[in-house]
Amino acid sequence: MEPETAHRAMDAALAASVGTETGQAAAAALFSRHDTVGIKLNCLAGKMLSPRVELVEALVDLVAAAGVDRRRIIVFERSDRELRRAGFTIREQGPPYRCIGTNNDFDPLPSSSGEIGSCFARLVSTTCTALVSLGVVKDHDLSGVSAGMKNWYGAIHNPNKYHDNGCDPYIVDVARHPFIRDKLRLTVLDGVVAQCHGGPAYRPGATFELGKVAASTDPVAADLWAWREIEAERARRGMPTLEAAGRPVRYLATAAKSGLGVADPEKLLLVTT
Amino acid sequence: MTMDRRRLVVLGTAGAVSALQPPLPRLAAAVDRGSSAAGDELPAREASWYKKLAEGRVECELCPKSCRVADMERGTCGVRENRGGTYYTLVHSLACAVHVDPIEKKPFFHVLPGERAFSFSTAGCNVECKFCQNWELSQFRPEQVDAYDLPPKTLVDAARRNGARLTAATYGEPVVFWEYVRDVAVAANAAGIRPTVVSNGYIQERPLREVLPLLSAIKVDLKAFRDEFYREQVRGELEPVLKTLRIIKEVGVWLEIVVLLIPTLNDSPAEVRELCAWVEGTLGPDVPVHFTRFHPTYRLTDLPPTPVASLERAWEIGREAGLNHVYLGNVPGHPGENTVCPGCGGILIRRVGFRIIKNRLDNGSCPDCHRPIPGVWS
Repeated sequence: MEPETAHRAMDAALAASVGTETGQAAAAALFSRHDTVGIKLNCLAGKMLSPRVELVEALVDLVAAAGVDRRRIIVFERSDRELRRAGFTIREQGPPYRCIGTNNDFDPLPSSSGEIGSCFARLVSTTCTALVSLGVVKDHDLSGVSAGMKNWYGAIHNPNKYHDNGCDPYIVDVARHPFIRDKLRLTVLDGVVAQCHGGPAYRPGATFELGKVAASTDPVAADLWAWREIEAERARRGMPTLEAAGRPVRYLATAAKSGLGVADPEKLLLVTT
Repeated sequence: MTMDRRRLVVLGTAGAVSALQPPLPRLAAAVDRGSSAAGDELPAREASWYKKLAEGRVECELCPKSCRVADMERGTCGVRENRGGTYYTLVHSLACAVHVDPIEKKPFFHVLPGERAFSFSTAGCNVECKFCQNWELSQFRPEQVDAYDLPPKTLVDAARRNGARLTAATYGEPVVFWEYVRDVAVAANAAGIRPTVVSNGYIQERPLREVLPLLSAIKVDLKAFRDEFYREQVRGELEPVLKTLRIIKEVGVWLEIVVLLIPTLNDSPAEVRELCAWVEGTLGPDVPVHFTRFHPTYRLTDLPPTPVASLERAWEIGREAGLNHVYLGNVPGHPGENTVCPGCGGILIRRVGFRIIKNRLDNGSCPDCHRPIPGVWS
């Protein structure tokens, strides 16, 4: 992707999500210069189905333009290795921004939220004052959808414990933990290429060019949009719905009930630019 | 560094530990050994108990959770990973806790009293007890803890050098490293060392039956006698554990049971009575049952330690139910630690904590009334 295209897309997405004229104005509304901003990527599927570097850097530029020192912008994933596999360069201190794996640097004690009890990555619990989930749009074998909310599984030490029952209510319990709920400013989804089946790993035959970048201050609405796009592609291909395929997307209704955002399609305000 | 802290905490909880001679080979520092998608840097062996499903999925056939795992994902244990439709264990020979313990620490009270058990564990567990005492290894993934490269033969050689007559797969949950347990047992038996296992018993029948005949003894945590407790506090189920106990009894491997009594959650006299009656009726009166004291830990920090009076009540209920060998644990110096002859009432083995003060057993029998005492004594 051309960096200019990425910048235009990110600028438009942020502006639309906040309702400002420009992406920079949106970033200024979301972040203060005193923030340490953590941008959590989902790079599990490797380079072909991870947030692309150009989009991430476009977001970093907007946050920096809002006054946040680049040394306080931290792009992170679970491990250095996953970041490298997705095409990122590890930068412990920057410039032009920090890019690191949490590499098992977790809180020493678990913290509970609903059904989950986990040690959170210290980047999330302690270091960052503001968070962004930057995920992709893909099918998930158990939760149905993996987009912005499930991305936070990568911030706890024991995600493998929380995949029963379509990951419900666990996705929500992670997202509503104060470490995340109180700091989350934005969810961004790289939907340039999406995947409608076979996730969370990369499955070439199931990817499609969605050609969109989505942003929302409502993490539930962002995932609802991702779900709709996946279902639409599955319908185009004559595939059963996720529910019919045995993996209904349960967690979104739970998320809405928990007050994390809007999961009612009728109430989803889609601003396209 | 986090890794070292985690390993040291595990070492620190091991109780009476002798230094390992010579030091074991540590793997390189664990930083960036990756995670699910990057687990390929961990040593991996194809798992022994699983089946392949359509579209690259697999179904684990090791524990009753029967995890269906998509490509690049792991089962609930966190130590088994699907890579392109083949399921791998990531912890074979990857021991993250290794100690020489007295066998009483497991606890086995009817297995070679006073002998040393070369004890080992990997990361991972198939359940998530809110009261787990070893959560810093059982609730972590292999790449999140420091580890030793310890293949079965090396482990058994180290056991022999350290004067251990037994091995014990313990601390974490041996079910999740069952292939390693199996291969250590084979190597131990060949070397004349007795292999033992300390487990939650949450395992499917086939892998259990395949490995049981290799073992000298197994201790199972029966965490409660209510399925509700298993679901809410353990994220498991009661019935598969009871099935495991029945199979162990049928196969004839020496069995001891531990019940951790937790105030208000599983310590009611009615529940303890039902549990003891089931053990006596199904497994027989000679299976030792250890009621042990809970201490607040991990996610269960809002309850007090178990009152000694509750333990003593359970001790009494067990004996009333007809069990011949009921013990109390985590109360050093309590008479409930002693082995008493069910025939004449004489004290056969006097213990304080994990130490044997006096062992009067005579070829596995009471020296006073000559009643045989069941166990593995030689």
